[in-house]
Amino acid sequence: MRATRLFRRPRPLTLRAREELDFYLAISPWAIGFIVFGGGPLVASLVMSLTDWTGLTTRHWVGVQNYVAMVTADRDFFTVLRNTFYYSFGSVSLGVVLSLAVALLMNQKVPGINVFRTLYYLPAVTSGVAIAIMFAWIFNPQVGLINFLLSLIGIKGPLWLASQQWAMPALILMSLWGVGGNMVVLLAGLQGVPEELYDAAKVDGAGKWREFLHVTLPMISPVVFFIIITSIISTFQVFENVYIMTRGGPGTATRVYVFHLYQNAFEYQKMGYASALAWVLFLIILGLTWLQLRASRYWVYYEFEGETR
Amino acid sequence: MSSTTAAPQGQRGITLRSVRWYRRKAVRELARVVCVYILIVPGAILLLLPFLWMLSTALKLPKQIFVFPPQLIPNPPQWRNFVDGWTKYVPFTLYLRNTLIITGNNILGNLFSCCLAAYGFARLRARGKDVLFLLVLGTMMLPFWVTLIPQYVLFSRLRWTNTFLPLTVPAWFGWPFFIFLLRQFFMTIPRDLDAAARIDGCSTWGILWRIILPLSKPALATVAVFAFIGNWNNFLSPLIYLRDQDKYTLAIGLQRFQGVHGNMQYHHMMAVSTLIVLPILVVYFLAQRLFVRGIVMTGMKG
Amino acid sequence: MPAKRMTRRSFLNLVAALGGGTVLAACAPKVVEKEVLKKETVVVREKETVVVEAPSEKMVVLTCAHAWEAAFEAHQEKFDNLFMEKHPNIFIKRINSGWSEHNQIVPTWAAAGELPDIIYVHGSRAFPWNSEGILISIQEYVDNDVAFDVKGIWEEALKLYRYQGKLYEIPYDHGPIILGYNKDLFDQAGLEYPNENWTWEGEFLQAAKALTKEGRQWGYSGYYGTVVGLGNEQGIASVGPWGGEVFNEDETKLLVDSPEAKTGLQFFADLIHVHKVAPTPAETQAFPAGIWISGVVGMFALATWGTPQMHEFGNFRYDVAPWPKGPKGRKTGSFGSGYGITKDSKHPAEAWTYLSAYLSKEGMEFMWGSSGRGSPARKAAYQSWIDSAISPEHAEYYLEALEEYAVTGHPYKTLRAAEVMDVINKYTGLVQTGDMTVDECVNRIMAEADPLLRA
Repeated sequence: MRATRLFRRPRPLTLRAREELDFYLAISPWAIGFIVFGGGPLVASLVMSLTDWTGLTTRHWVGVQNYVAMVTADRDFFTVLRNTFYYSFGSVSLGVVLSLAVALLMNQKVPGINVFRTLYYLPAVTSGVAIAIMFAWIFNPQVGLINFLLSLIGIKGPLWLASQQWAMPALILMSLWGVGGNMVVLLAGLQGVPEELYDAAKVDGAGKWREFLHVTLPMISPVVFFIIITSIISTFQVFENVYIMTRGGPGTATRVYVFHLYQNAFEYQKMGYASALAWVLFLIILGLTWLQLRASRYWVYYEFEGETR
Repeated sequence: MSSTTAAPQGQRGITLRSVRWYRRKAVRELARVVCVYILIVPGAILLLLPFLWMLSTALKLPKQIFVFPPQLIPNPPQWRNFVDGWTKYVPFTLYLRNTLIITGNNILGNLFSCCLAAYGFARLRARGKDVLFLLVLGTMMLPFWVTLIPQYVLFSRLRWTNTFLPLTVPAWFGWPFFIFLLRQFFMTIPRDLDAAARIDGCSTWGILWRIILPLSKPALATVAVFAFIGNWNNFLSPLIYLRDQDKYTLAIGLQRFQGVHGNMQYHHMMAVSTLIVLPILVVYFLAQRLFVRGIVMTGMKG
Repeated sequence: MPAKRMTRRSFLNLVAALGGGTVLAACAPKVVEKEVLKKETVVVREKETVVVEAPSEKMVVLTCAHAWEAAFEAHQEKFDNLFMEKHPNIFIKRINSGWSEHNQIVPTWAAAGELPDIIYVHGSRAFPWNSEGILISIQEYVDNDVAFDVKGIWEEALKLYRYQGKLYEIPYDHGPIILGYNKDLFDQAGLEYPNENWTWEGEFLQAAKALTKEGRQWGYSGYYGTVVGLGNEQGIASVGPWGGEVFNEDETKLLVDSPEAKTGLQFFADLIHVHKVAPTPAETQAFPAGIWISGVVGMFALATWGTPQMHEFGNFRYDVAPWPKGPKGRKTGSFGSGYGITKDSKHPAEAWTYLSAYLSKEGMEFMWGSSGRGSPARKAAYQSWIDSAISPEHAEYYLEALEEYAVTGHPYKTLRAAEVMDVINKYTGLVQTGDMTVDECVNRIMAEADPLLRA
């Protein structure tokens, strides 16, 4: 921010001023879109969070009552919060490690790698209901694939989606299914690492592990950062798999935040309350993202920093 | 096949030492390839299984679908499910056209608007940039369900409902996920390149066009592939904004096989799901050339 | 095939009935000036083909939002084309969303003032949508339309759609839960098929035990795989035979803590955990339509809307029998769906003309009866469903249930219905997995859900 502060002194249209103008030009399509399409609904939902809107017609001003009700009247609020953190933590940590491992493998030069890349990407593109039905089969405790594989190594598998302890791990495992999407991004990052850097590392006599730690990882750290942030944002909003597979059950074991929000919005007809829930979630995700942005200064390596520090 | 595995066979006058060196190198290379295969083949099979299951359901008679325990190989395979699924109940060819229009437009729109915004956020200096960038990320953080109704009302006021406009116009005004992605990639490009170009008299936009974009082909390909898939599979927005059945998209068509109380035409749904996934795979498979070309370019210029 | 002939006959009946549409429409209010318009457009229409592709400017365009799956769409189109032929001044447009999507989109349309003229309304949505003013009362149209025989519709079906004493929608189907059974499995076990003398604790339980082979085959599997459930039609079917109730009549109180209701719940919980004749939730996983469909279950709770699925996917012979008797006699639950006219319709009179034909005896026979798609809400049209090719052999037991012992399952007149049911399902789900006793489940429900009804 130091440079920015310096820059605030009035000056004629210097190179820096020109650059600033260009910046606003560059982001203008997004800015216009945000104001025209995004801003209105955003503000509307914020206003609605202060009403008892049913999502249909009636609405009255209730002030911050919806926000107060979360901690005083909503018996599931803390449960869904805990479940969502559990899911997000499991899914993000496993997902990032796995997608990185897969991307490194897919970056190997072996015959037919293009076919394998496509295969690994396949799950990420197969949509919705078909996959959900299939996973119900995979997790079927009796005839399902997972417990069959476990039985091969002598383990009696759990009841998965029908068990209060195992339903959430099952959903986390299911989320790893989409690892192909992150793999693609990481792969694009890996492909962008200049060969000279590896050559240089070889000349220095670096082993594979040190090469990964000191060349690959720093070079793709902006992409890893991207994956962590977007995974946090999306896992905190997990909905579809829960909606189709468990509907929050057994009990409240897989009742996650956005499922709870959806039930309030479209089933209980408490759209005002659902909007309040949404804004609290917004703040939670924003907080986590901000922390990540702060932390990123210590581990994300940018070739070009701009003036963001 | 990597070129390093092949020792120069045709040449004469190779010393014994160099032959041994080459052989050892070849063995090591072979070991590496085998190791990689050992790691990736089982995973690939695991990932392929569900797809095979989908295909298997697609080839079954309705009465075979729920036989317990399940049978993987349909007998006899009902290839006509593909034809029936595509044509008999839902006009998928028409929906394919609609989907292609929306998807094509949105790939172009996203590439245009997101490259610009990402370029601004990654490489131009300005006041308030950090706050604006947090705002970009922020728009991804509010669950879709609570903005659904206000958004619909907005498009209704613009008289855009029941047209492709709510599905196509916003693409030209940026998509946070892609802006963020491209920004991250643009920030990995060395700064010296800009500086050099500026000295050569390149404008801000010239740098974007001549340096940043050519060096970011893998990232652009990624965005294109993601935009393609996202729009291809997008279901809820088209369903909400389109009312006339002849404006529907593939994803809505697929959902039309689903009725109340699990009353579903599983065989047709799986058949069409299979057909719909194939173009995505082809696109991704072909897009990989772009990824590879990306490295070559980086290698040359970097 | 008699069923085929039946379809043809119902088609002809429908054509004849629609022909009387002019008379019919004349009875509806505010229709005189429309009559003139109609006569003008007839001339125009005769130059066109039967299938109307696009509305002319003089036509009234009615948009109808259904929730039909693709396979049934053609049947709907056939009806609409016939209707348009008989009513040349009206053009029918259709919207088809999935069932759950329909329930999300309707409020969205309502907020934007873009509701179609006619919408599908599931029985459980009628009350909230009516109370929010999404639909308009059609009482006046019903009263003035002498040809529309509202008394021919079961009172139990109409109950769902009455709001503040006025009728808001007209049901198209209504069906009870009765006992379905897999004839193949009964034959294999050498058992006698279920009959009207069966009691839950007697013959039913005996047969269920005889049909069970551990981990591979079960005697009973509940309603769409839910063995212990208290939702609408299933709720009263589960506790009714023991003399229990789930809600009081006004839906201001939960009654599941009565000894009768608890005994009923305990019976079904014991089927899973004590007698082990019903599958656990883990075992039924991956069967969205209920594991019965795979032919490994002897008996199941089957409503009329489950029968098309049995016909298409069930690879075994099946039939239905009366819901068994409990200590307090025979009782089961029923439910249904309907159609209504929305607040945003600019042509409510024409919309009524459509509904009046669509939900007439002949309309119901053509749409749901002879096609077997759903059991009509009119007694007079029920026979066409019983006779249809895809309804079970003894489908008349459904009619018997509606006539004698089925009641519409609560909740359907409280805005808290969905929330209350969420709490109830949460705990009955845990009874099914074996994580909770019936007593604890009932206590939790009373503590959490009951107060919601009075809030």
